[in-house]
This record gives sequence, structure tokens and C-alpha cells, in this order.
Amino acid sequence: MIFLVVGGLLAIAGGGVLSAVAGRLAPGLRLQALGALAIGVAGAFVLFAGGSAGSPFTSELTPQAGIDGLTGFFLATLALVACPALVFASSYVPQTIAGRITGSLSAAFLLSLIGVLCARDALSFLFFWELMTLVPAAIILTGTSSEAARHTVFTYVAITHLGGAGTWIALLLLAHEGAIGNASALSEGSGVQAVIAVAAIIGFGTKAGLMPMHAWLPRAHPIAPAYISALMSGVMVAVAAYGLVRVLVDWLGPAPSWVGATVLVLGGLSAVGGITYALFQRDLKRLLAYSTVEHLGVVALGIGACLLLRHHGADQWAAFALGAALLHTVNHAAFKALLFLGAGTFERATGALELDRLGGLLRRLPWSGGAFLVGALAIAGMPLLNGFASEWLTLQALLHVPAYAGVWDGTLGAVALAALAGTMALAVLCFVKVIGLVLLGPPRRTACAEAAEPARAMRSSLVTLAGACIVLGTVPGLLFSRLTTLAPWPDTGQVPTRPGLDLPGTGHLPTVGLLVVVCGLTGLLWLARGGRRAAPSPSWASGQLIEPQLLWTSAGFSKPLRLVLEAVLRPQREIATTTRGGVVQEVSYAGRVPHLIDTHLYRPVTDGALLAASWARRLQSGRLGTYVAYLIGLVLALLLAVRIGAIG
Amino acid sequence: MTAQSGVSGVVQIVGGVALSPLLVGLTQQAKARLQGRRGAGPLQPYRELRRLWGKSGVDVEGTTLVYRLAPVLVAAAVGAAILLVPAAAAAPGLGVGHDALVLAGLLALARLAVCAAAWDTSNGFALQGASRDLTLSVFVEAALMLSLTVAALVAGTTDLPGVVAGTAGGHPWTTPALGLAAVAFALVVIAETGRQPVDNPDTHLELTMIHDGPVLEFAGRDQAFLQWALAARHWLVLVLAAGVFLPHPSNVWWQLALLPVSLSLLCLALAVTESLIAKMRILLVPRLIGVGAAVALLGIVTWLVDSL
Repeated sequence: MIFLVVGGLLAIAGGGVLSAVAGRLAPGLRLQALGALAIGVAGAFVLFAGGSAGSPFTSELTPQAGIDGLTGFFLATLALVACPALVFASSYVPQTIAGRITGSLSAAFLLSLIGVLCARDALSFLFFWELMTLVPAAIILTGTSSEAARHTVFTYVAITHLGGAGTWIALLLLAHEGAIGNASALSEGSGVQAVIAVAAIIGFGTKAGLMPMHAWLPRAHPIAPAYISALMSGVMVAVAAYGLVRVLVDWLGPAPSWVGATVLVLGGLSAVGGITYALFQRDLKRLLAYSTVEHLGVVALGIGACLLLRHHGADQWAAFALGAALLHTVNHAAFKALLFLGAGTFERATGALELDRLGGLLRRLPWSGGAFLVGALAIAGMPLLNGFASEWLTLQALLHVPAYAGVWDGTLGAVALAALAGTMALAVLCFVKVIGLVLLGPPRRTACAEAAEPARAMRSSLVTLAGACIVLGTVPGLLFSRLTTLAPWPDTGQVPTRPGLDLPGTGHLPTVGLLVVVCGLTGLLWLARGGRRAAPSPSWASGQLIEPQLLWTSAGFSKPLRLVLEAVLRPQREIATTTRGGVVQEVSYAGRVPHLIDTHLYRPVTDGALLAASWARRLQSGRLGTYVAYLIGLVLALLLAVRIGAIG
Repeated sequence: MTAQSGVSGVVQIVGGVALSPLLVGLTQQAKARLQGRRGAGPLQPYRELRRLWGKSGVDVEGTTLVYRLAPVLVAAAVGAAILLVPAAAAAPGLGVGHDALVLAGLLALARLAVCAAAWDTSNGFALQGASRDLTLSVFVEAALMLSLTVAALVAGTTDLPGVVAGTAGGHPWTTPALGLAAVAFALVVIAETGRQPVDNPDTHLELTMIHDGPVLEFAGRDQAFLQWALAARHWLVLVLAAGVFLPHPSNVWWQLALLPVSLSLLCLALAVTESLIAKMRILLVPRLIGVGAAVALLGIVTWLVDSL
């Protein structure tokens, strides 16, 4: 065990050093992948064997490291994403100086992620937490140094640090109260517990991209190199979910119901808001980043349901809800990494990722395109694949909130259930569009018509992740029965260790049966259809030929929804018509869906901050006399205060 | 397997596979009579299926496997859903379980397959229908989930035979929550079966199509699969409506005996609705179904207050 972990860490560090050497980038990245694999195997071993390794949690401020079941699960998730991503990177990252630096920094990124997960005390947790925030910023700036990228990185660092203050407050207060690793240290309903809960929700929620703290995520995730995007969207947000689970479920002890309700509301908002804004993105990677907001929202719904059910004494269902949230974390990691790596492949093959300018890639790239198709179906929550299994569990958990949690919390649970149902349908709309615009139809640029399969390393990592989506969708029960036991209370319910999902006292999801029946029926009906086909004909367009100008666009496909949600989304459109002599010469159209949280929440705050800064700047005249006057004024004020007895 | 669940399983499979086109036929016939026409008889859907089955398929130029697979996958997903929805409170295990939420997933799979095929053909009318269908499905899905939640809360499980048993007897009369959920579910039925005021099943104008749009480009046996799947969707939602939201006895034999009556009444109700109400403007439909979802939510609140 210990050899596996130490060997893995050494392999990652060694791989990082090796990547920096000229000509050794690819072997270096593969060594890192091997190290991540070793760590993941160790994590999975701890998860399934039970028990823990290394030190237990401590509220002392001395660096300690260890692995328990929850950490082990997240380490396995990390490996599931990092191995394919780094193998992908070994032929994706260019052999330039910038590429070599990126390769080394990815090792630092991995180590910081592992550090957060394995830290057993507040100080090392916070150290690795900060590192985990800063390294991706460095990687993004190494790859590109455009004005826009610098601005994005500034936004990313600024928001995550402002929000990250919450993490600091939560962790240090927990350490102060001696509550790290000790759920009984905080009394229910105490003030300090409330402060810790709020600080943790803000701190970890910002990192997880929960609305309305998400503003940085859709900006920063897309501009990183594809495999770093995969690590950020697959693992870094998962580590934030780890923080939420650790503090809110584990260390906070029995919490008042408003904590669960708050997480549930934020989760529902993120799920619906994330996927709605994803629908109106023009860039594939940006769309995927918004969908990360959605899926962390789903995870938060599971955590919120867990907290509410626990508060109302339904311990067994609380454990199921926690298992649902954790299972969704790993499922999201698998398909989101797959989709980001796929996006990187398409960008490499065609040169751009604008949704309206791709098309027909399934025909040109059967392996990568096919894997991307599996990922898109999984993220759209289709039965037989992994996304559906964990969303089904989350729905079940939310459905049981009304059954146990009284009128107010029960109503909230029902609203969250409706929100999740709507989110799943919106995800179908969104990813049908992605499948159609990227993989199907005619190629919309010559580059797409000439695109070719990438190198085998890139292709194989995509196929591996697609396989993971299928396996996790077929046997979720084997993992889930283990995940429910991670809940830190005695009554975690008995879930039988079967491939399908079988919860006591409600319906069940027989994944294998569904797979056999749907695939078997598909095969039978395919055979029954026979091979009799007439000669192919062009598709029907009222007798016209289908011109490229007649092809549907992303904005066109989501237009009905935009019109339905007009009152909420406030889309903007401008039509300018130029006429000469009564004849229309030119019509130009521009439409966009502004991000309301940006314009209504962040804009006033940043404007206010800048205004305050310009006021404060007047104090800084730069003249020595002014500063001496300030000093004298301060001393006089202090003396006066002492005189009237306010201080001293 | 008891005799009850055996017979119920036979009714479920034979009814879903073979008798579902009859439901469409009955509705069309009733509608024709209400409009003063003679109608083609309730067996007309079977004649259409036979005609389509005898014709060869026509592929659209430049399509991929997605297009070829779509009709088969739709029929397979709906077929799996038929195995899932029980005809009465007893049902044999057919490998796919009986979970209400899985049913929603299978219907979504069928919808996605058709809409992806629409992108594959690049047909503007197909895509228009697909985008409308998916937009409406956002609201339909929420209403469906909430109404099923009410039923699941009343019965204490999402296992459909359990739900049918749990809502049997006097429940639809004595539990106001179930009545409210029935209102929402009625809207879901209309939307899922593609009937007025949500969609017009008889339209021949491409611009007004919702469900018929994405299937425009299929011919022969492909079209036969899709038409059958539409009919089978009638079976699924109407059986669910009859078994959960309409009053039904608790005895399984009586449930099976009364099923044809309930289904005929529901078909008649669909025909009456279609004859009385004109098709709504497409952008008003989400509002209607949203109201339905709100009513179902009210049902949940009622249940919560009731069970205090």
C-alpha cells in the first residue's frame, strides 16, 4: 500500500522533472500517468478494503497525511481522469519550451490535487488548496498570453481567492474548535457552526462553480489546454465537492436544516442555470464548462438532500443521497473528461471549436467521434450509461425528502426534484444539439471535410473513457453499495452488492437487464427490418436543394426555448436593415443571451469596488506633507481616544 | 409467479405490442364520429402499418449509422418501456424492473434518438420539429416527474405495481393530492401522445409539425417502427393514467377486467378534447404544462400538509 502511494508520488514528481527535459516530454507525461494510476489503485484499495492508511485527521497544525475511504474514492476518481488525460497529453502537447513547462506544471497540479485529498490537518490542506488554484493559472498563462487570457486568469484568481477566504475561515475555525475529524466537537445550532457552514458553502461552492459563485468557471476552464480542462472540470471541481462533503456532512455534525436547504437551493439554481446558459454558448468548450456548473449542481442537490434527510432523522436515505452525490461526481468526471479531450481532438483536427462551423466529424473520425458520442449520450442522462444511474439515484433521494422532511423542507425537495427533471430534459436538448452540430450532418468547413483521426495515444484515451462511461453505467451498484457506507453515521442502510441499483422500499434500476433488453430488442428489430432499401435520396426541403445557407445553426435549434424563457433570460437582438431606393441592400443580425448573474450581480460589485478604489486613491497624493499630516492626525485621534477612555 | 402476475404480464405484453395501435384507431374513429364523419374504422392504424411494412426504406444521402439506428432504437426503447409498465398491481419481473423514473429515462432515450437522426438528415423541418419537441419536453418532464412523485408518495414507492396497489380503492376520491397530480398527468398524456392542443396528429403541413417533423425522412419499415412506437406511447401513458390516477379496484382480476373500459374512456376523452380545443400557439404550450407542473407541486404540498 504505502509503496504504491510513495511510488506513485515519486513517479508523478519524476515525470514532472522528465517532462521539462528537451525531447523527453512524452515519456515524462506517460510516467505521470503511471504514477496517477498507482495512486488511484491505492485509493480504490482503501475504498473497497475499508479502514484507512496513514494518520487520522487532527486539529493540530502539524502536517499529516493519510487516506481513508472518502479520500480513496476521490483518488480513484482522479486517476480515472488523469491517466487518460496525461496519455492524451503525451501526443497532444507540442514539444516546445511552453509545452515542456506545461508538462511539468501538470505534475505539480496533480500533486496539489492529491495533497488536498490526503491532507489530514488544516495547514497542509490550505497549502495544497492554494497551490491547486494557482498552478492552473500558471498553466493557462504559459500556453497563451493574450490580453483576453490574462484578463480571464485575473478573474479566475480574484474570484477563487475571494471565495477561497471561506475555505480558510471554515478550516481554521474547525481546527480552532478541534472539530477536524471530530463531529461531536460542534454543538448543533451554535453560532460557530453556522459561521463554518456558511464559510464552507462559499469557499468550496466557489471552487465547485455553484451559482452564483460560478462566474470564473466558464471563463477559465475553456482556455486551458484540453487535457488541463479535463483535469479542471473532472477533478478540481470534484475536489471542491470533496471539501463540501468533508466539512458539511462529516465534520459539522448534526446541522440545522437551513444548511441542507441552502445547499439544495444553490444546487438547483446551478443545475438549471448551468445547463440553460450552456444551451446558448457558441463555443464547444465553453458549453462544456457551463455544463460542469450544471453537474456540480446535481452533486450539490445530492449533498443537500443528504443533509436535510439527516436532519430529519432519515439516516438511511441520507446515506443513499450521499452515495448518489459521490457516484455522480465520478460519473461526471468520466464523461466530462471524455468530452473535453474530444473537444481538444476536434480542435486539433479542424482548427476551431465554434459549434456552427464543425459538422460531419463522426464520419471522418469514427473512433474519436464515436467515443465523443458515447460521452454526449452519457452526459445527456440516457439510460444504459453512467449519467442516468446517478441522476436516477439523486431523483430517488430528492423524492424521499418530502417523505421524511416535513412540509417546508419537503416542498423544497419537491421543487428540487422538478428542477432536476427539467435539467435532465434541458441536457437532452443541449447535447442533441452538440451531437448534431459536431458529429452529424454535412461538414460546414473544408477543414472538417478533411479532418483525420488523431494519433493513437489520443484516440485510445478517448475510447478508454467511453468504456468507463459504459462500465459505470452497467455496474453502478457495485460502487454505490460501497459509497453509502462512507457516510459517517452508523445506520447507512443495506444496499445489496449487485450490478444494478436496488434501494430498499422503492423501485430499482436493473442496469444489466435494461442493457440486455434494449440492445437485444434493437438487434432483433434491426434483423426484422431486413436489408431492402431503395436508392438513397436527398432530404426533403420543400423541393429545394439543401444549400449550406439552409443548414440549421445552434442559435436556431435553441430558439424555441429562448422565446419561451424570454422573460427570464432577456435575450438581446439587433437587426439593422440598409435600404437604398426602397430596396433592401443588406440585413445584419446580431443576437446574444447575456449572462444575467454577470450583469446584475458581478457588474455592480466590481463597479462599486472600482469606484471605492478611485475614492481611496485620492488619499494617496504622493506628497510627503500629506502623509505626515495623516500620521499626526492618527496620533491625535488615538490620544483623544485615550483621553476620553475609549481605549487603554 | 402467481396466476395473477402471469395473466397481468400477458395482458401487458400483448396489449402493449399488439393492441396499442387499436387505441390510436379508437381515438381517431371517435374523433371522426364527433366531427360527423364516418371514419376509417378503428383498425386503420393496422392497415397503415401493414402498408409501411411492405415498402422499402429510403436512406437520406450523406447520413450515418445514427440515422439507420434511430427507428430501431426508438422501437426498442419503447418496447422496453412496455415491459416496464404493469397492466395491474401484479406483474412478472421481465428484467427491466418496474420503476417509474426509469420509464421517463426510456422515453427520453427514444426522443433523443429521433432528434439526433433529424440532425443527421439536416432536414430543416425535421430539426424544427425536434427543437420544438425537446423544448416542450423540458416542461413535460417536470410535470411528469412531479405527478409521479405524488403517486409515489401516496403509495410509498416508485415501483409501479406498488404504486397501482397503493393508489387503489378510494384513493383518487379521498386523496386530493392525487386529483391534483391527475390534472398534471392529463397534460403529460396529451403532450406525450402528440395530440391537440399541444400537437396536431393529422397535420400535413411541415411547418406546424412537432412529433411528425423529425420522422419525415423515414420510409418503409423505419416509418412503421416509428408509427408503432407512437401508438405504444399511447398505451404506456394511458395504462399509467388508468392504473394510477383513475379510480381502480384493489383486486388484480378486477383491475385487469376494468382496464379495457378505462382505456376506452380515456381514448374517448382524448377525442373529445381534440374536437373541442384548437391547437395552441406553440409558445403558449410550455405555460400550460408549467401550470400543470405547479398544480402537481400543489398536490405534493397538499399531501405533506395532509400527512402532518
